[in-house]
Amino acid sequence: MKKTHIVLIILIAVAVGALIGTYTSSSESVGFTEAFANPGTEYKVSGQLDRSQPVIYDPQTNVELTTFHLVDKNNTIREVKLRKAKPTGLEQSESIDLYGRVENGEFIATEMLMKCPSKYNENNHSLETAEAIDR
Amino acid sequence: MEEITYNGEWIWAAQLGRFLVTAGFAAALIGLFGYIKGSLGKGDENWKRFGRAGFIIHGISFLLVIGLIYFLIFNYRYEFQYVWKHLNNQMGTPLKISCFWGGQEGGFLLWMFWHIILSFLFIRFKSTWEAPVMAVMSGIQAFLACMLLGVYFGDYQFGLDPFILLREVPSNIGLPWTRNPDYLGLDQFTNGQGLNPLLQNYWMVIHPPTLFLGFASTALPFAFAIAGLWKKQYIEWMRPATPWAFFGVMILGTGILMGGAWAYEALSFGGFWAWDPVENSSLVPWLLLVGGAHLLMVNRNKVTSVFSTLFLIMSSFIFVVYSTFLTKSGILGDTSVHSFVDSGILPQLLVYLLAFTMLATIMMVGSLRERWTYALVSVVMLVTGIFWNPVLMVVLFVLLMGIVMIRSYRRYIPKPKVEEELWSREFWMFIGSLILLVSSIQITLQTSIPAFNKILEPFSGTFTSIFQATDIQLFRKLADASFAPTTDIDTAYHLWQVPLAFLLMMLIAGTQWLKYKKTDFRKFLSKIARSFVAAAAILLIVLLAFDFRGDDFPLIALIFATIFAITSNLDYWLAALKGKWDNAGASIAHIGFGLLLFGAVISTGQKDVISKNQIGDLGQLNDQLSNNEDILLLQGDTLQMGDYFISYRDRYEEDIHVKFQIDYFDKVPKAYSEGDVIFFNNMFFEAKEDHIASRTFVEDMEEKWRFIPIPNERHANEAKRWISGTAGDFRFTLEPRIQLNEQMGNAPEPDTKHFLHKDLYTHIKWGRITPPEVDEEGYLDGRSHDVWVRDSVLVSNILVSVDSLSAVTMQEKAEFRLLPKDLGIKVHMTLRDRGREESIQPLYIVRDSIIVPDMVTKEDWGLRFLVNRFDPAEKKINLTIWEHESIRKDFIVMQAVVFPQINVLWIGCIVMIIGTTLAVRHRIKLARKARKQ
Repeated sequence: MKKTHIVLIILIAVAVGALIGTYTSSSESVGFTEAFANPGTEYKVSGQLDRSQPVIYDPQTNVELTTFHLVDKNNTIREVKLRKAKPTGLEQSESIDLYGRVENGEFIATEMLMKCPSKYNENNHSLETAEAIDR
Repeated sequence: MEEITYNGEWIWAAQLGRFLVTAGFAAALIGLFGYIKGSLGKGDENWKRFGRAGFIIHGISFLLVIGLIYFLIFNYRYEFQYVWKHLNNQMGTPLKISCFWGGQEGGFLLWMFWHIILSFLFIRFKSTWEAPVMAVMSGIQAFLACMLLGVYFGDYQFGLDPFILLREVPSNIGLPWTRNPDYLGLDQFTNGQGLNPLLQNYWMVIHPPTLFLGFASTALPFAFAIAGLWKKQYIEWMRPATPWAFFGVMILGTGILMGGAWAYEALSFGGFWAWDPVENSSLVPWLLLVGGAHLLMVNRNKVTSVFSTLFLIMSSFIFVVYSTFLTKSGILGDTSVHSFVDSGILPQLLVYLLAFTMLATIMMVGSLRERWTYALVSVVMLVTGIFWNPVLMVVLFVLLMGIVMIRSYRRYIPKPKVEEELWSREFWMFIGSLILLVSSIQITLQTSIPAFNKILEPFSGTFTSIFQATDIQLFRKLADASFAPTTDIDTAYHLWQVPLAFLLMMLIAGTQWLKYKKTDFRKFLSKIARSFVAAAAILLIVLLAFDFRGDDFPLIALIFATIFAITSNLDYWLAALKGKWDNAGASIAHIGFGLLLFGAVISTGQKDVISKNQIGDLGQLNDQLSNNEDILLLQGDTLQMGDYFISYRDRYEEDIHVKFQIDYFDKVPKAYSEGDVIFFNNMFFEAKEDHIASRTFVEDMEEKWRFIPIPNERHANEAKRWISGTAGDFRFTLEPRIQLNEQMGNAPEPDTKHFLHKDLYTHIKWGRITPPEVDEEGYLDGRSHDVWVRDSVLVSNILVSVDSLSAVTMQEKAEFRLLPKDLGIKVHMTLRDRGREESIQPLYIVRDSIIVPDMVTKEDWGLRFLVNRFDPAEKKINLTIWEHESIRKDFIVMQAVVFPQINVLWIGCIVMIIGTTLAVRHRIKLARKARKQ
């Protein structure tokens, strides 16, 4: 067997390893029901901020704790604790991805990504105002 | 419906623009046709000239398109959607220039612009490869021009029209103002939206053009590879392609690093590299191009690894397209901090991507008939995909491509007759390129997780049955198609990238010393030994200077490899090349790359988050929610942070920024004399001797302090909290800021103090932008506190202590207007601040087992109290305290990170760019020499 072939076999082995490694270590996006059924497992939960409940961020007590309610994709509402300072624009966010796990009956998020209203929507908004003025 | 004549519109510009785009598209097709005809057989000069004319017309058309858009921008023609969206009256000239590439249309045009410039340069060189190479370039340009056609087929928009008028945008059609002939006179159209304020800085002026030039420069090597396959000159294309490939390595590398510098300087990512999909998708083509460019050199003289070279060079371009697909199609969704907008061009980008993948693959097939068969099959698949089950078709297509590639590798691509020697330069360069490939694969897999879910969706049923049969969790995950990237992005990448980088750096250190063909292994070892020893010595210094943990072993190995790469290449340049510049490009570029990685590993691996919180009631926190990253700064207070004392002085607004002025002071170590009493963690200590405090108490505790188990009154009165130092001389002010951004939401921007050996990087995590919400009397939201008797809480610098509890006597009940059967508890509390002291007695009243609230307001203190609960067993009360806005100090939450040796990273970048430029110059020289012969 040629050296090149040996190298290629190693290469393929590593690439397959990377594939399996990447997808087994990746977390899973689920709803609250599943996340609360498996405490301790890291999940991604997507949803929207429940605007009827307050967002609590009290830096004088804890600078790295933001508490709010999230409505997941199955419309389950749960309180979540984000271990970060309150991200700017949380109240304006359209959708939220939370990464975290359930500990002691609470969903503790360590990472959060938000989707904010896109420029495109803003466009329409300001142009609809144009319509109002025109009348 | 009558036709409306609108006043003041530059309709002519829209018509001219659309004409130029269409003409440019047609001319690219003519170029394609002429150049194809000109490449067939021995090459027909007339057809070649015809193709060239077509391409030049194409180029000029699109240069005019770009010129026209700039003309519209500089004339503030807000009737054009593109101008209105990206320009406003406040933007200065540099931003007007950069707002051109603020949108996707501009991005495509910028990309095409560089293709045109590079192609014109290439045509000027009068290469013998002109016809086939330019045929490919014309094809690429025709595809890109499609993206700007903006033609509708029914409801499907084909391309994005940069000249669309605001009133023609589908979402605006039907709005009343579009029926107003003088709509341009309305206020809304005298100013545009303007570039997103986040992008309004000088990086936006220089970064995109550089990056797109980098992207564009992967196209010519790709075109050369296709040309080589087409003409069956499997290695002859490599020499003329080499300078272009290395040019791409240099420019694309510069572009990526500029992006990193931008993120570091102006955005609050918290570092220069965040493994963000956008960053990754420009890194992967670069890694592939670096691998491919190195293999081009190996193959120049004899056939060694033709297939790998072709594969790497061609994937580099294809991955540029793939990254455009990932980032512009909206498929990544929410996985990135960059926001992606789905502009409806996903199918078109996908077709573009698959078309070039197909071209690259079927050109590897040597037999003409077979090539056409495969082409036909794959086109049928793609067309089927348009109407039925696109995902399945794409998967089948990719499988077919894989099979074709393996078959072509076995049958058609030339392979070396004699196997290369183990100790030869070409063999190890080959290995190095493969490592780059593996690294790219891992990054791509990790980045593409959201796209992967899309591919899985149609197979959900199959995977569910497999899961039911086997009960293996992986199959359930596959069936759900709900993979999500892990939180720990850094670990996900570093686990693979650190070992790969280690191998790569070891190869960079060693391979220069190997000769082409065959090397005496002993000689090689003796030559390299000196650099190895030097590297080991430097590593020792690094290990002493920095604090590494036991599990940092992979990082330490990588640091060693980077140092080894630097010393070895330096030695090679000075000793073997005798310090000459001519040949030194490779060595210098490798030194730069070594420095870059060294700086990156040290500055991130040893980064020190110094903003640990100093105030706030730590007792209330649960252990897992410790404050270890952010610091709370009350206005006017001076706190210790790392080696500084800092003070939040004030805030002010400037343009669209709220700036927070943070003053930094030296830390003067605290001197303690014998007999001083301090407390630390609620324990009392007495100084044994005169001494200067160390950084932490623990360091001093054993030797310098005596524990006082039972403190007497003197101790209690004298004792002060232990501090390691006090604020000294003023040093500097940093102004991290929050950008008030109506379009995208407010965004923090960092401010960094640069030192020679480190950076102090600070950004605002939270700061009040709008005035706080208060009730009619000016009180803020109340906060509840659990307080034990003889304990106290700090509220806005007022110490509130609960001294004792007593039952309300019958006499007092009358006084307080309580009913005789009421239960009343009197809470004796003291309020204290500098020089003031007052006692208050709020009541806790229970009437018929219902709590009657008794709110006590102390206006001169600006506080209001209410006792909510009383726990007699624990002697604990729960109390809500409201603060008046007049006593609440402004505060911010900030993060501060020290990045040591980050300048090595930037120096490495510059050295790498210089080295690559030298290498390109050298390659051009060689290519010229070869042509003269």
